[in-house]
Amino acid sequence: MKFRTGLVLGTTVALTLGMSACGDGGSGKDETTSKVSAEFNAATKGIVNPSDKKGGTLRFGYSSDPDSLDPTRIYYASGQNFMRSFYNRTLLTPDSKPGEDGLKLVPDMAEAMPEISADKLTYTFKLKDGIKFEDGTAVTSKDVKYAIERTFAQDVLSGGPTYLIDQLDQGQNYPGPYKDTDPDKLGLKSVQTPDDKTVVFKLAKPFADFLYLLPMAPGAVPRAKDTGAKYTEHPISTGPYMFETVDPGKKITMVRNPNWDRNTDPVRKALPDRVEVTLQMQPDELDKQLLDGSLDLDFAQTGVQQAGQAKILLDKNLKKNADEPVTGFIRYFTISTKVAPFDNIHCRRAVQYAADKVALQTARGGADAGGDIATNMLPPNIAGHDPNLDPFGSKQGKPQIDKAKQELAACGKPNGFETKIAVRNKGKEPKTAEALQQALAQVGIKATIDQSDASLYFRSTIGSPDNVHKKGYGIMTAGWGADFPTGTGFLQVLVDGRLIQPSGNNNYAELNDPEINGLIDQATAESDPAKAAELWKQINAKVMDTATQLPFVYDKALNYRNPRLTNVYVYSYFGEWDFGSLGVSDGK
Amino acid sequence: MTVGPVTSPTETQPAEETPAVPGTVIEGRSLGRIAWTRLKRDRVALAGGITVFLLILVAILAPLINKAFGHPVNEYHQDKIDPNLGGIPPVGTWGGISSDFLLGVQPVTGRDLFSQVIYGAQTSLLIAFAATLLAVAIGIVVGVSAGFFGGWLDSLFSRFMDLILAFPLILFAIALISVLPPTRAFRTAVMIVVIGGFSWPYIGRIVRGQTLSLREREFVESARSIGASNFRIIFKELLPNLAAPILVYSTLIIPTNILFEAALSFLGVGVPPPTPSWGRLLSDAVQFYEYDPMYMFVPGMAIFITVLAFNLFGDGLRDALDPKANR
Amino acid sequence: MAPADGRPMDVTNYILRRVLTSAVLMIIISMVTFGVFFMVPKLAGTNPAELYVGKQATPADVAATARKLGLDQPVTVQYARFAKGLVAGRDFDDGPNKTHCDAPCFGYSFRNDRPVWPLLLDRLPVTISLAIGAAIIWLIGGVLAGVISALRRGGALDRTVMVLALAGVSLPIYFTGLLAQLVFVHTLHWLPGGEYVNFADDPAGWAGKLFLGWVTLALLYAATYARLTRAQMLETVGEDYIRTARAKGLRERTVIAKHAMRSVLTPIVTIFGLDIGSLLGGAILTESVFGLPGIGRLSIDAVNTKDLPVVLGVTLFGALFIVLANFIVDLLYAVIDPRVRLG
Repeated sequence: MKFRTGLVLGTTVALTLGMSACGDGGSGKDETTSKVSAEFNAATKGIVNPSDKKGGTLRFGYSSDPDSLDPTRIYYASGQNFMRSFYNRTLLTPDSKPGEDGLKLVPDMAEAMPEISADKLTYTFKLKDGIKFEDGTAVTSKDVKYAIERTFAQDVLSGGPTYLIDQLDQGQNYPGPYKDTDPDKLGLKSVQTPDDKTVVFKLAKPFADFLYLLPMAPGAVPRAKDTGAKYTEHPISTGPYMFETVDPGKKITMVRNPNWDRNTDPVRKALPDRVEVTLQMQPDELDKQLLDGSLDLDFAQTGVQQAGQAKILLDKNLKKNADEPVTGFIRYFTISTKVAPFDNIHCRRAVQYAADKVALQTARGGADAGGDIATNMLPPNIAGHDPNLDPFGSKQGKPQIDKAKQELAACGKPNGFETKIAVRNKGKEPKTAEALQQALAQVGIKATIDQSDASLYFRSTIGSPDNVHKKGYGIMTAGWGADFPTGTGFLQVLVDGRLIQPSGNNNYAELNDPEINGLIDQATAESDPAKAAELWKQINAKVMDTATQLPFVYDKALNYRNPRLTNVYVYSYFGEWDFGSLGVSDGK
Repeated sequence: MTVGPVTSPTETQPAEETPAVPGTVIEGRSLGRIAWTRLKRDRVALAGGITVFLLILVAILAPLINKAFGHPVNEYHQDKIDPNLGGIPPVGTWGGISSDFLLGVQPVTGRDLFSQVIYGAQTSLLIAFAATLLAVAIGIVVGVSAGFFGGWLDSLFSRFMDLILAFPLILFAIALISVLPPTRAFRTAVMIVVIGGFSWPYIGRIVRGQTLSLREREFVESARSIGASNFRIIFKELLPNLAAPILVYSTLIIPTNILFEAALSFLGVGVPPPTPSWGRLLSDAVQFYEYDPMYMFVPGMAIFITVLAFNLFGDGLRDALDPKANR
Repeated sequence: MAPADGRPMDVTNYILRRVLTSAVLMIIISMVTFGVFFMVPKLAGTNPAELYVGKQATPADVAATARKLGLDQPVTVQYARFAKGLVAGRDFDDGPNKTHCDAPCFGYSFRNDRPVWPLLLDRLPVTISLAIGAAIIWLIGGVLAGVISALRRGGALDRTVMVLALAGVSLPIYFTGLLAQLVFVHTLHWLPGGEYVNFADDPAGWAGKLFLGWVTLALLYAATYARLTRAQMLETVGEDYIRTARAKGLRERTVIAKHAMRSVLTPIVTIFGLDIGSLLGGAILTESVFGLPGIGRLSIDAVNTKDLPVVLGVTLFGALFIVLANFIVDLLYAVIDPRVRLG
């Protein structure tokens, strides 16, 4: 799951990430390459201001500070977008195209898509010629392997995605290069480098989505320049820009990388001469500078603040320069199968009917900035999404008191019961928990809200089943965005009964249904994406039938684009504009 | 810390030495009568006192008042807000004020702000009073022991009070509270302990100073000469004479504690929602205030009026009990 | 505390004693703070190392991280290492090499692995700008109002000033701050919003951004100073030497300015030192409300992200200012007022 940074004054945010396709439904699919004029949501439908004009400075503003610039440690979608666009080339990368094409992986440092062995266990990549680090040394297969090995050094380089460890460790307990006994620090057995141009990955068992794990990780790190925890101060670039200054809490500036060769790189436009990020801005000030044109875009892409939202939506001249892409994030409550009385499905169904989805949507910011009402657990950008799947008739948004009371009676609790709602004390989440609490009270369910510390919430508060039982959390507030845009990347960890972990668990409801588990096995092994999508559609329906998941919003983020920006389109892979295609029309 | 100046706002004595306030050692009953006569003539203080009384009444009778003029405290009124503008009440309606919603509604939820404010008074006053009681209790014990027994005990306690006053208190409080579990009952208790625990040295110093001067007085000497025990001297001779200054400074520490509670809530470490709290309403209002200023103004004024009333009353009380000040 | 028997104690001796007390105070504060911040999460059942690792880290990763950060050691050992870092610096393992963190070493941030001490120094100018600007306004405004009030004792002006002063201390800064911004920045547009800029880069922008912060903060303090000045003034004008001065036929203005003010200023200096000391430790609320990137904002951000080393660093830094201010005030007091007991 990707994360979003929080913010000052405890006011807002904790939004989005993940990826998303164009809006809801296919309005944009047929015109993906066509030019669209500047209007509200234009960049979710096509490319706004297409241009090849070079020069000028692309100016980002950020209300926070990237936790790290080290590609090994970046997890936020916008951070991944930033590193992919400017300084971290990977073997494969999602294509720079609007719409669904942006979900497809294409070769970046690799010469071509990998050779995959018949048993689907060996992936062989060849590197392109002419790919260099910013200091002019050529990128070799050893640098690629070393970069992957760094992910294993979690005690030094924590915070990034760890999927590669799950797939590549294979019982070796590799400690990372810093504790590697191999003299070249290349002791990881599952990645091999027969020559300087070839990288071979050996899996222990087939994993259809393996390639999606590669763009999330660092592409290549030169061992001689690796400074471990300090690498974030100046990551070595393979992309079109390199770091000029990194002034934590203040500013990041990047200049063109003279050793980047445009001919080797089909996905990055590299139009501006400079890239600047102003850090630690006050959120309202950031919005103000976006609206008056002093900045080009928000680094975080999590949407403007309340005041900015009102300003934009009340002024049609501003509104035409705003987009609200579906971010691919889903907001939901999960209902435990192990905490009484929710071990009885009727009590879970009662909650489904009692919920007031309009109030929940409003608590997230309304239909415009919050998102559309969600009725099932696969968001619109994931193949297998089914807009008509709505087993509890919740699309209309209002509570169905009578049905809820019938379910309560069926559960043997006609007068309601008491339970606890767990929520982290961050952003809009306490308000959504309050909205549910209020709605449940209408049918006699007395819920108390248990707020806990945001930093450990997903790890050990609701991420630990023991703790959930001990505290008696019947209902838990959650949010989720896929790390890679497939049913596997989105739904598996949430509902696969065999992936329940003692800490950092994602299957909060402890759903363990043999039928669902069986379907998941079929889906993850299915290499035909269309068939896999059909399986995920079935899984989604089965999951909804268990009444363990109460989704309420498919997230949107209202962002403002400076009118001078060129080539603006929503990049489905991240649910954000493609940073790497942007240019500035006035060349300043 | 910006919760206020280092000195408690109305403590006008230099921090290091707090001489006994002359005049407070007059015998109890006549002092009370004199003070009451003076207080009656001080209209400003009287107005403060009446306001304080009304506020306490509002807090106690909140459920009744709310029944008459408000709505159930956590009831949602989604029809009163515009969800597409981030959930603020329609622009131009003064925060949704109407005959039905006397102070308007809260953005996003549409809750009655009037109900939130009067229940917020409960939260605010409960924590401030309990913290003050705690502060007074510790302050008396430490102050009397330090002043009465003197010697190493005095040095130890005095250094200890220095130590507490040297802590950057807001920062320390938020850091401490934020690592503890944020459930309602626990948070309330922790806030009382933290606020009380940081404000008792103000009382402690006053009590110590008073005790120091009292123990040399004749009536204490004479009690000692007839063989009264320390226990008896403290309870029969000292404490009755300490009552007046303790009352004054307790009244003056309450508003500081109200501000402290509101500040903690404002910074996100107050009582958890949905328990209404003025400080949290204000911090919530930060994101709406450009388009819905009433939402900021209402809880802000509630805090201001309450604190001012306590300050005016406490100030008048001190003047009344201390003939020298201001005359 | 026993008064020296008639003879003034040696001044050097006094200073030495105060230095020693201050040092001991700092050591105790550092112990308490350290203990609280590293022990309380443990009591609450969380391992500080879990705050450092990512969500997906395995128990083995957590253990490795705890080992690397030394969190598996007894708290006494941890404190000793921390204290050594403060005094002599210490080494940190950053993977391929070891990095030396120079004294005073407050450790590295959990969030971005940057040393805490430069982070503090970086934020200090903002806080100093805020504190000093506000202090100038409240000193002048408060003392002046107090003097005038005292001279017109009992009159309408006196009553008004004193009620206003009480209103001043009753205003929460997070209310006045928002109100002031709403009126002067968003509605009247008299002042720029905008980000903080350094004085050296743009003096006008610097002052424009800080102005409302100065005024609202000063309002809060000026009230206290006005009341203090007034009370002190009233006490002083009743004293013999003032009567003597008057009897000598000196003009009232001279009496007030030359004679009374000196004794009025003594307690003011005391309080002023302590107020400045605590403000320099971070004006959390003011910085939050006005969006100033000072020590206070750093501390609240660190608390929100559970960045324990930064929280610890800011708390100690703040305490250091208060202790230092106490120390300087005591010295000044001894110099200004010869009556002070060097005990």
